[in-house]
Amino acid sequence: MTAPAAPARPRKPGPRPFFIVVGVVAVAMTVWSAIQIDFTLAPFFEGNPRAWGIVQQYLTPNWAFVAQVWPQWLETLLMAVIATFAGALLGLAFALMGSHTSNRAPWLLRVVRWILSVLRSLPEIGWAYLMVAMVGIGSLAGVLALVIFNMGIIAKLTSETIDAVDRGPLEAADAAGASTMQRIVVALLPQIWPGYFSYVLYVFEINLRASAIIGMVGAGGIGSVLNVERARFNYDNVSAIVVGFIIIVIVLDVVSQTLRKRLM
Amino acid sequence: MSTVTSARPAAPSKLPATITFVAVAAVVIACAVALRADWLALLELPERIVTYARLLTEGFWANPFADPQRDWWAVAFDFMFDSLYIAWIGTLIGAILSVPFGFAAARNVAPQWLVWITRTVLNVIRAIPEFILAIVFLLPLFGFHPAAGALALGIGSVGTLGKLTSEALEDLKPGPVEALRATGASGIAVLRWGMLPQVMPEIISFWLYRFEVNIRAGAILGMLGLGGIGFLFDQLFNGREWARAGIALLVTVVVTIIVDQLSAAVRHRIIGAEQFTHREVF
Amino acid sequence: MIRFDDVSVTYPTGTRGLDGVTLEIPDGQFVVVVGLSGAGKSTLIRTINGIVRTSAGALEVDGFRVDGASNRGLRELRSRVGMIFQSFNLVSRSTVLNNVLTGRLHSTPWWRALFGWWRKADTELAFQSLERVGIVEKAYNRASALSGGQQQRVAIARALAQEPSVILADEPVASLDPPTANMVMRDLQRINRELGITVVVNLHFLDLATTYADRIIGMRAGKVVFDGTAAETDDAVFEQIYGRALSAEDVLPGSAAVQIDLPDSPADA
Repeated sequence: MTAPAAPARPRKPGPRPFFIVVGVVAVAMTVWSAIQIDFTLAPFFEGNPRAWGIVQQYLTPNWAFVAQVWPQWLETLLMAVIATFAGALLGLAFALMGSHTSNRAPWLLRVVRWILSVLRSLPEIGWAYLMVAMVGIGSLAGVLALVIFNMGIIAKLTSETIDAVDRGPLEAADAAGASTMQRIVVALLPQIWPGYFSYVLYVFEINLRASAIIGMVGAGGIGSVLNVERARFNYDNVSAIVVGFIIIVIVLDVVSQTLRKRLM
Repeated sequence: MSTVTSARPAAPSKLPATITFVAVAAVVIACAVALRADWLALLELPERIVTYARLLTEGFWANPFADPQRDWWAVAFDFMFDSLYIAWIGTLIGAILSVPFGFAAARNVAPQWLVWITRTVLNVIRAIPEFILAIVFLLPLFGFHPAAGALALGIGSVGTLGKLTSEALEDLKPGPVEALRATGASGIAVLRWGMLPQVMPEIISFWLYRFEVNIRAGAILGMLGLGGIGFLFDQLFNGREWARAGIALLVTVVVTIIVDQLSAAVRHRIIGAEQFTHREVF
Repeated sequence: MIRFDDVSVTYPTGTRGLDGVTLEIPDGQFVVVVGLSGAGKSTLIRTINGIVRTSAGALEVDGFRVDGASNRGLRELRSRVGMIFQSFNLVSRSTVLNNVLTGRLHSTPWWRALFGWWRKADTELAFQSLERVGIVEKAYNRASALSGGQQQRVAIARALAQEPSVILADEPVASLDPPTANMVMRDLQRINRELGITVVVNLHFLDLATTYADRIIGMRAGKVVFDGTAAETDDAVFEQIYGRALSAEDVLPGSAAVQIDLPDSPADA
């Protein structure tokens, strides 16, 4: 009587084609990119004779300057607040229109999603240039650019939350004969408030940073000051502003984290 | 048989909600007033939109293969690809650097004091926008070189990527890790075989998402002169060359959308059938 | 040989996990530990490989003093003691083979471990372990794609790959259906008999305990209240261990082994 043969050991399968392709692309991209931008760390080692002088200037920040430009600080803050408010409202509206949970007209859905894609694919500085061109230099351009920019972000995050809601209350609303708007207000919005507010807080932080950036192209705020001082080689002023900015951001980050934890 | 009816409870006051609402509205209006922006210009906005839409899209309708359009399109793509290259290298640098930071900031991997120090460092890095990194540190050292841009993006990415990595590690299932410890494996072996396989797909997905973010963040660096599409925007918009600027905008949007879609497809494929955890990517 | 000498475990909260336990488990024995949740079964098992630290008393495994051992010493001990868990604790995303290979990590140099360059001998051992539990054809499948019973067998293979002298099993069948549970217990029994490995299993299904164990240890409130063979156990003994009458929860569903006489329901007044 012969014993039944033991099952054969399987052969090791090769790597799946998907990963091979991705791997090759990644490596190729890395090599090509490094060549194209002429990547080198040489300057770190060679050093720059002027660098030490610059570093010294950095290490002696001109604090008086920070206080001097308080109107620009205020401008940055105000721009961030207004842009967050407007962007939050518009973003919510777009999110509701762009999610198949809340919006049942497929044509509108596609159009809105497409618009949101475009809004999000231009960096904030692109919008800043555009707005400055259209309405001139100043904080209005800044606010508009920020609103358009963060509207897309809020819309995307909120629509993801909307897609993940519990369908139960929505079905109940439908069964009771609710219209689309009623359904949204009664069954959908209450579920998404905590997430939504946390996104708003997040976007506020982004707006604060972004308003510093767009200031550099003339859209108002502390960014323009930074650019000017840099161009004038007043690194002590630059240093003071940078430190002040970082402190503000850190403080806001902490506040925002605490608020978000309490919301979720 | 007696029935007991309880008094109807009083409805909770709507006052706090109303007050908050009014307060928020008041704050925003106050801000709007204080900003002293040229709000009246808003009225002219629709008309301006139409005008500029026309100006910007002038370049679209002409034959893209004829001069001078061919040159315009080529230049725009050239600069946009530069942005991609800078963002790619930058994300790579950030990804590599963020791994040790991420492990050092995870409570289930590193001792408490190390976690605390690393998290503080990461928070500081996250608070520094990339453009400040570029202006303050790299420009004086590197001059106007794209490598400086890549480094700025890389160092800036370490903050967020490190935090996300540490959070992914802390969310790990402890069971397999306990089992590996029970086989007598050393700490590094447990990290490599118990933690990393669980967490790697999610981490790579963060890296890809960060690449998408860095493409946009790189625009500001371009404006500073470090290469990329931002540089082109600066030249064209300041030079008021609307037709070329329009083309540049279009190229930016199209390339960004394509890269976003590809990246999203790879990310979803990597995370696979497992539940796509909606983690705060911020 | 595993020797407990008046071992106690006191948790920081003050509760006593183990209370003055004195036992000797000779090599090659198949021991099943039974008792209510919180009675000390889990604690007992986890002190053997040092996952839970003892607070008092002496604990020796194969001549190695576990109490007060250094981390390095514990790691060395654990390489000789395999452990399987109720929730299998496999790395879901890794392949079955890689999961089993992790049992060889204790003797793999760091550079081999980092890149996954396992020694040929180790891979051979892993395959043999898989063959022993009858699941070798799944070697390259993802661990999470397997059924519960299959995953537990992979976990057993992982323990076997360590070439252990002791295998600990913490409620290995609690998540499995009865036929699979019996299969896993049979596997453990076979390993114990064919390879002479000491096996210590936590169970709360009494019929499994009486079917498979050489020796049954009953625990209650951290103390050993029964220590004997399966033949010596009867309803009275179990009541002593559990502090209450036997119920349907204490046996595998569908088991004909025990006739249950449920007390009258107090509501039927």
